[in-house]
Amino acid sequence: MKIKIGHLYPDLLNLYGDRGNIQCMKKRCEWRGIEAQVQEFHISDQVDFSDLDIVLLGGGSDREQMLVCEKLKTIREDFNEYVVDNGVVIAVCGGFQLLGHYYDTENGRIEGLSLVDLYTEQESPRLISNIVIENDAFEYPIVGFENHGGRTYIGENQPLGKVLFGHGNNGKDGVEGVLYKNVVGTYLHGPLLPKNPHVCDYLIRHALERRYGRSELEPLDDAQELEANRYIVERFVKQRG
Amino acid sequence: MRVRRLIAIWAAKLVSTGCKLSGRQGVTFAGKIALKIDPKILGDLASQVREKIFVVCGTNGKTTTNNLLCAAVESEGKKLVCNHTGSNMLAGVAAAFVLAAKNNGKLDADYACIEIDEASTLRTFPHFKPDFMVLTNLFRDQLDRYGEIDTTMDMLKRAMQMAPDMTVIVNGDDALSSYLAMESHNPYKTYGITEQVFESHSEHEIREGRFCKKCGARLEYEFYHYSQIGKYDCPNCDFTRPPIDFEASAIDMTDGLQFDVEGRHIAANYRGFYNIYNILAAYSAARTAGMKLENFDQVLQSFHPQNGRMEHFEINGTEVLLNLAKNPAGFNQNISAVMEDEKEKDIIIVINDNAQDGTDISWLWDVDFDRFSDPSIRSVTVSGIRCEDMRLRMKYVDIESELIADVKSAIEARIGDGCKNLYVLVNYTALFSTRNLLAEMQKK
Repeated sequence: MKIKIGHLYPDLLNLYGDRGNIQCMKKRCEWRGIEAQVQEFHISDQVDFSDLDIVLLGGGSDREQMLVCEKLKTIREDFNEYVVDNGVVIAVCGGFQLLGHYYDTENGRIEGLSLVDLYTEQESPRLISNIVIENDAFEYPIVGFENHGGRTYIGENQPLGKVLFGHGNNGKDGVEGVLYKNVVGTYLHGPLLPKNPHVCDYLIRHALERRYGRSELEPLDDAQELEANRYIVERFVKQRG
Repeated sequence: MRVRRLIAIWAAKLVSTGCKLSGRQGVTFAGKIALKIDPKILGDLASQVREKIFVVCGTNGKTTTNNLLCAAVESEGKKLVCNHTGSNMLAGVAAAFVLAAKNNGKLDADYACIEIDEASTLRTFPHFKPDFMVLTNLFRDQLDRYGEIDTTMDMLKRAMQMAPDMTVIVNGDDALSSYLAMESHNPYKTYGITEQVFESHSEHEIREGRFCKKCGARLEYEFYHYSQIGKYDCPNCDFTRPPIDFEASAIDMTDGLQFDVEGRHIAANYRGFYNIYNILAAYSAARTAGMKLENFDQVLQSFHPQNGRMEHFEINGTEVLLNLAKNPAGFNQNISAVMEDEKEKDIIIVINDNAQDGTDISWLWDVDFDRFSDPSIRSVTVSGIRCEDMRLRMKYVDIESELIADVKSAIEARIGDGCKNLYVLVNYTALFSTRNLLAEMQKK
């Protein structure tokens, strides 16, 4: 078995250890004997979505996001078709904002992909914190670090989780991220996947299911991953309580 | 007003003596007190400097460059004020001047050599306008504290424009720093390395300056030295690597560091390619200020990197090298320096996430730790507050590491069972405690 991971525009969107997310997906496939090919797409490259199983859209500075948003208009239609067809997407920070309709910044509007019904508005101060969220669909809490000036509103969509510690999408409604079809959008980096192997496996499982109709994943020894996860939960959630 | 200044000086000295044990924090505290009592004290004292004031800025290499510059200035027989402890925010800068002043409020100094945190330049320059600024490089560093690199660049640009007569001595091989120097319209001098030193280069290394800051086009590089440092040119606009005033050539790293500049041969017994830039920066700054530097060789020979910059300890027959690594560019350079040593070695990596480190440690995943999967690396031990994250980082490059959260226990373990050649790589807040531990252990 083989899956292909497309990393969109790492030359512009590479702020918070996105390489870690890629490395995590790749290793966790390989450790199970699944071949994982990673293809980086630069801003001038053509993206063939029919070829991809997981798409990673990372975070960049506002200025870089502005550059990317021009390019996104040209791939919007293909990208949307991929999402409607249950293609797996992991979008972090700036990538999460770009999933939506727009991101209003003090320097103007960044048009998004409108793949998911959400929007973002800039507001002071930046929300910077360690963060812990939970979702009954996931066996363990999801931990990470958030650092965003945008406040994201996901409307009626399902969030990735409920905030146990930290700010979340907008610091007001107590939820973080978005889960829409096989799209995961989130402000969590740290990077997201290594300390949240259950989220990584969620992405891999859905990618395999879509391509091969197979959803069983061989379990791995995640003792170290879960210890790092538990450390954050205990430091920020349990001790408060 | 004069009485107030004296009280400020006495109070700061008292506090600093009282806090000697806490070292650096004592210095910062003394500076805060002095500024509180006499808000004008920094400007007053700085105006007493008889000749010139240098400041050193940039993400990496500030402390080493500034300490080298101090040694070079002193070798010219000049008296100077400096912040050797690396306390580089406004309070630390103020403390350097206040603690150097005499009890009668007079400062006896020809020069000042001050390293300043980039974000603190805007708060410091209202007090005094430096004559020279050395700008070493700009890399991503502590995004949670400083925000994006664009924010840092914007602050530095405004600071430069506050001191329009200040000459900027800039690393011409860094497109970001050079762009700033040009954009600020301050006078500037450049230093750089025009020849290609490394044949291959990590494809994955994160490079900030991929795109032209002037027009947004992708920059073309003839070669990279490391990160975005190299020989660049914009294919779309007139932005290009500026002509280099102080050019290092004939780079040789087989036995220490050697190169030629201005027809002189420079040799130093340190390791790490990045130290060529530190030496070159200090040299260029002193030369720009008109110094002859006839004794520069001796300066380098008697200069011992300290404050945990490749600082050497010997403990029970084990050679220990302590080195600060606090961002991806710095860490990758550190790994290169470690790998220059071909002997077998043990590695301890200490990662904390206190406010001064940056509480966000995702940058660890932008460091090329896979380079530690080399037969010469006998063991990797992870320690510090975020040792679990560090262990995970190693796991995902297929390197097994031992987790010993307590730093002292980690060092003791590897001194006990290691191969007598130990590297301790630490981030910011781990530096001072680890350094004290090693100094303590060396004494015994």
